[in-house]
Amino acid sequence: MTVLSGRSRLVTLHLASRRVPVAVAVLLTCALVLRIALHRTWDAYGALQLPLFFETGCAVVIAATTASPFGEPERATGRWLPLLRLGTVLALTAIAVGALTALTTGAHLAGGSLGVLRNTVGSTGIGLLCAVAFGGSLAWTGPTAYLVAGVYALYTQWHGPALTTPVLWPARPSSDVKAAVCAGLVFVAGAVLVMVRGSRDSLTRA
Amino acid sequence: MTAAGRLLRLELRNNVMLWLLPVAGPLFWFVTFRPGLAYPPMWNLRATAMQTSSLAVFVPLVVGAAAWSGSREGRHGVTELLAGNARARWARQFGTWAATTCWAIIAYLTCVGVLYAVTAGTAAWGGPLWWPVAVGAASLPAFAALGFTAGALRPSRFTPAVVAIAAFLALEISANFIQGFDSHWQVSPLVANPWSLGADEGIATFYRYLPDLAIAQILFLAGLTAALMGLLGLPAGAGGSWLRRSATALTIVGALCAGTAVALAGTGHLDKNGMIAIPTLHNSAYDRPVPYTPVCSQTPIPVCVHPAYSRYLPAVVDGLAPVLTEVVGLPGAPVRVDQVAAAYEQGSDNDAGIARSGAAISGTPPVFNVLLPTQMAHRLSAEELTGEVRVGMARDLVQNLTGGGRGADDAQEAVTEAMARTSTLPPGSPVAEAARRFTALPAATRHAWLMAHLPALRAGQLTLAELP
Amino acid sequence: MNVELGDVTRRFGRTQAVDGVSLEIGTGVFGLLGPNGAGKTSLLRMMATVVPPSSGRIRLLGADPGAYGPRRQIRRGLGYVPQNLGFYPRFTVLEFVEYFALLKEVPTARVPRAVAAAVERVGLGDKATAKLRTLSGGMLRRVGIAQAIVNEPDLLLLDEPTAGLDPEQRVAFRALLRELGERATVVVSTHLVEDVGAACTRVALMDQGRIAFDGTPDELTARGAGTSAAGDAPLERGYSAVLAEVRS
Repeated sequence: MTVLSGRSRLVTLHLASRRVPVAVAVLLTCALVLRIALHRTWDAYGALQLPLFFETGCAVVIAATTASPFGEPERATGRWLPLLRLGTVLALTAIAVGALTALTTGAHLAGGSLGVLRNTVGSTGIGLLCAVAFGGSLAWTGPTAYLVAGVYALYTQWHGPALTTPVLWPARPSSDVKAAVCAGLVFVAGAVLVMVRGSRDSLTRA
Repeated sequence: MTAAGRLLRLELRNNVMLWLLPVAGPLFWFVTFRPGLAYPPMWNLRATAMQTSSLAVFVPLVVGAAAWSGSREGRHGVTELLAGNARARWARQFGTWAATTCWAIIAYLTCVGVLYAVTAGTAAWGGPLWWPVAVGAASLPAFAALGFTAGALRPSRFTPAVVAIAAFLALEISANFIQGFDSHWQVSPLVANPWSLGADEGIATFYRYLPDLAIAQILFLAGLTAALMGLLGLPAGAGGSWLRRSATALTIVGALCAGTAVALAGTGHLDKNGMIAIPTLHNSAYDRPVPYTPVCSQTPIPVCVHPAYSRYLPAVVDGLAPVLTEVVGLPGAPVRVDQVAAAYEQGSDNDAGIARSGAAISGTPPVFNVLLPTQMAHRLSAEELTGEVRVGMARDLVQNLTGGGRGADDAQEAVTEAMARTSTLPPGSPVAEAARRFTALPAATRHAWLMAHLPALRAGQLTLAELP
Repeated sequence: MNVELGDVTRRFGRTQAVDGVSLEIGTGVFGLLGPNGAGKTSLLRMMATVVPPSSGRIRLLGADPGAYGPRRQIRRGLGYVPQNLGFYPRFTVLEFVEYFALLKEVPTARVPRAVAAAVERVGLGDKATAKLRTLSGGMLRRVGIAQAIVNEPDLLLLDEPTAGLDPEQRVAFRALLRELGERATVVVSTHLVEDVGAACTRVALMDQGRIAFDGTPDELTARGAGTSAAGDAPLERGYSAVLAEVRS
């Protein structure tokens, strides 16, 4: 077996251990359902809130893939593991953003592609931080709680006083630099921590 | 303690929902408690808003936690170990679901209790509305059953995450499908009062909170809970034949209840008091007005409002004060200004007409009946309310006295404009000029002229030239 | 007889895991030996009422596990430790054993005493309130045994029960097996022949889904005497000799 095929085999096995093929299928399904949903005319709330649900759905799926079924034996292996963790997260995030953007092209997507990118990346970051803190299979709690806050923040845009803090980035226009920076920082922090430490696996089995 | 009690106690100690309470508490504060307190301390506003927003907090967490609990046996590899035990799998799963539900309900009731306690300390009138609390509490077992069933049938790392988001999406999006007051989608537990009306002080103030829709929603949620939990008892390994037959019956009865509730919600209509009435469930006792003692101002002509609106009284009096001073003692002038209930009328789709119930002037001596602006909360500050009363209610009062309004002659229009201190006439027109002249008169002169000429003015017997 | 198997088979897809096994087992400790993949675990799972046989007759504790009512009755008197013991990490030792006592329908009033006794019998009294996630592999194995004996079973099925136990614990465990075997049927599936020699009154050797030997440990030892079969101990040589014989 050549070095290249050995590495590709390692990547394949790592992705399989994290149920990445299933995750990709769920991400594509999310994007497809959003596309179908956008065929309908939504009221002001629905139009803005709808993409956020699917972006968060993608984020929790990505965060769930961080759970390792092997635990400590895997942690005690060589230098590739952090890179595999990071690569998986980045690849899945790219797939999620790409699928959401591509499949909604031509539809009236509130916030546009930039909004999709910011919200997906930010929620994924929260999910990754939760994965490090609570384990991959409980990582959904953070993005879900943030979704509740985000949906409320969007609601306040009509029923004031409007929440304008960049920390609640879903309620900010997609051109808001501060909101984008907040989401980006959370993602970077989550990705780095997952890369270095992996998701917590002592309490749960994936 | 019985075996079932001991099992429940074990599950309660180890349930993941317990871990999520620190998440639910702050979220409730952020999404429900803080905005709820921003509403005026009126039970109807806070209770109905609470029902909608608190479900947004609890549903995704409960569904996720229940799915997590439901998939526990699969995740921890104890399926085989548990399969060899005497107690039926359904009973075992029921305990786990019950523990999740118990924690959710305890958390929900605690949060709502705090909101209600604070409201009780500040509300001017009335008492807590329990139907919105009941709908919220009934939602939690149903959504826990939804999550638990998904987790038990499909244990996977993705299940809790996906089901939590999907359930939240379904809940929130259900409101988008409500078209009209006979929409089947009103069975969604988000809906506390007519969805298109939103938070409205006029609902459940002069009349009791109409529980028709809440009853349908609770029936739906109970049916959903039964059907979903029944589903878990259907597979061969769930238990014995008696238990599985019971589960089948439970599923069927649950589905029928849920279906009936949806059908009932579709027969709803907007009743005259602003709530959704469902004929089959309607109790006419709720159509009788709730007795109350109005709160009145110490003004030359007392202004009286429903005690629930007492906080609005100063702003209303400020808006009416100039006119009240002007009209007091005039022939036909009201001896009191009374707030009356709004009459709601169903329009097409989501539209509703809201008008004053009854005539503007009633009784002898005459009482002027007013309808305060609707949906004031979050829309009007005290100053804005004063301004709205001045241009609307005060002018209405003057028009009733002078015979102004639609079809009024020039003299009536000029006097009305002058007394109401409004500026609705084209600047520089003869009528506006006459109004300006009348306004410029000393108050005593104006009052004396009105004492002498108001009946003739009201009868349309004066011309513009005859005004001073 | 607490266990009566008549020509029992079990297939998993195209794999014949158990192939025509007939056994009658009474009170005492019964050892089930065999190499990996011999069908020991599949046979034990059928005896544990977790999977039904593909064909053949099974009677456990005098009842037919095929019907729900008798199966429930059997399970009240059954203890089972599977090969891969799952556990709930957040449960304490006491909670985990109590959970199983309740699932086995131990009379409620007896539960606290039964749980405490089971935990003491496996030597975990000082760890009773420890969370399972904090225990070592051997301790978890003992927790698994505690849950299996909490109902004082008439039929105890143990699949590789000594895996992960240190020598001292294994000695204590064998003593526990002998004690339990005085009043109950204990079936121990293992590939460690020393466990069988020390604790079992009767032993069967399985290979390729069939019973290749059924007798006492001494008889199994005798089968290896005077042969060149591999093994460091007489019982091991007997084990190897029987296997070599059936495979030849």
